[in-house]
Amino acid sequence: MRGGRRVAIVGVGYSDAGRRTGLSERHHAAQAARAALADAGLESADIDGLTTWGGNPIDFAHMLGFSPLRWHLDVGISPAFISPAIHAAHAVASGQADTVVAMRVILQQPSRANLWAGGTGMAFDAQFQHPFGDLMPAQWAGLLTNRYLHESDATEEDFANFAVTQRGYAAKNPEALMREPMTVEDYLAAPYISKPLRLLDCDYPCDSGAAVIFTTEERARDLRQKPVFVEATGLSANHDMTFELLPDMVRTSPVHCLQQLWSHTDLTAADLDCAQLYDGFSVITLQWLEALGVCEPGQAGPFVSSGGTSLTGALPTNTDGGACNVGRRHGANFCIEATRQLRGGQSGERQVADAEVALWANAVGPFSGAMLLTGA
Amino acid sequence: MTQQADLARPAPPEMVIDALSAPFWAAARERRLELQRCQDCGLFIHLPRPVCRRCGSFRLAFEPVSGRGSVYSYTETRRVFHPFFADRVPYLLASIELAEQADLRILSNLVGIAEPDVRFGMAVEVTFEDLSPDLTIPVFVPAGSLA
Repeated sequence: MRGGRRVAIVGVGYSDAGRRTGLSERHHAAQAARAALADAGLESADIDGLTTWGGNPIDFAHMLGFSPLRWHLDVGISPAFISPAIHAAHAVASGQADTVVAMRVILQQPSRANLWAGGTGMAFDAQFQHPFGDLMPAQWAGLLTNRYLHESDATEEDFANFAVTQRGYAAKNPEALMREPMTVEDYLAAPYISKPLRLLDCDYPCDSGAAVIFTTEERARDLRQKPVFVEATGLSANHDMTFELLPDMVRTSPVHCLQQLWSHTDLTAADLDCAQLYDGFSVITLQWLEALGVCEPGQAGPFVSSGGTSLTGALPTNTDGGACNVGRRHGANFCIEATRQLRGGQSGERQVADAEVALWANAVGPFSGAMLLTGA
Repeated sequence: MTQQADLARPAPPEMVIDALSAPFWAAARERRLELQRCQDCGLFIHLPRPVCRRCGSFRLAFEPVSGRGSVYSYTETRRVFHPFFADRVPYLLASIELAEQADLRILSNLVGIAEPDVRFGMAVEVTFEDLSPDLTIPVFVPAGSLA
């Protein structure tokens, strides 16, 4: 990142994720943080900053023995894990802290009411959604998907190929929760949730904790793993949280987000060896592919169907299998997978050969964020 | 018997209506669509907010709109996410662009039309549906289909 100390990711970790695990937010947070410390070869005393969406950073820090903290941030409604990750990276770059844990802790959510609980104004805005039967994110995703199908060259078969490609990666990932082989026919046989959005366009709800540790280049050189560097970041917000009222449902905030990101680096999309693009719903990844310019506008569907996102394609994408299969880690999985790909040799059968540059990205619509990572 | 059946029917989802949004619902009960409008620069604002995002004015008031618009996008919900909608699935949600102003959108239901017959950009107009004795919502039908 320009304008500050060079920042590296040195540790990543997950909790024992799964469906309705019965474990608390604190338990998932503790497991993920301890796993990330072990991965990095760091001790509790080395941590002087913590940020999370899910739970509270001050509470987690005391529980984990990260006291005293020099820097902490409780992240609320935001573009998922990219938000704590970007804030953590900038805290290290600016010298606010030296070694920061960024977390996303998320328990299986029964409703949007819970998902949005505590968000400013969300209960107010819900009065213009709930009486109409607009109750869950899958429904705005239905609106975005339908408009995308209308404006682009994509077909339902392209969406099927997207799901099948992701499942193919998941089959090579022992940490994925969904690994059974899937066919185009399986996708098309899955029920509509909110037509044209099908069940297999949705991420897989689960309980999980994820932690990623950011520190300075200097400290990173002495640690257990090959450092992965933060080259550039981008954030964007261009509307309130009512996705249903977005003026343009096809070219949404990722376009602006990536303009910010590329303005901070000499690298370009042509340098990417892999991409990890949020897939809370399939259409989100397709929007990111187009925002990256790896295909022409409206061509992400055919790009996927022709193998563009596969391990041998132009841009291997969502190589851990994505949130549809790894489970709803809310973008943290993509930061962790990008890091492992750039360390080299940690992504098993799904390893992209000689991966040196990776981008991971979160969210869509009114808000989004992205981070560019390099292996050297 | 009828009364008993009505009592057994689940209530609509709970809503938080406050002073900022009350005029919208009061107008709907009287079968008018009214939206918040900046009294200084004329911008229609939906959802209701305390300030105009274009000129910064706090002088905002609700004004009637034509109720005419077009379908920007739509989706047919097949799942029951709340018991009130158990006997309503499948139902159509739509983002309607209202005629008054570019990009002025309202989320509502499309009624009186089947999903395969909906077209992007098709003209629609507002009508009203009573969800309960206290709650009337604006919904949209294909233009010209109201008597």
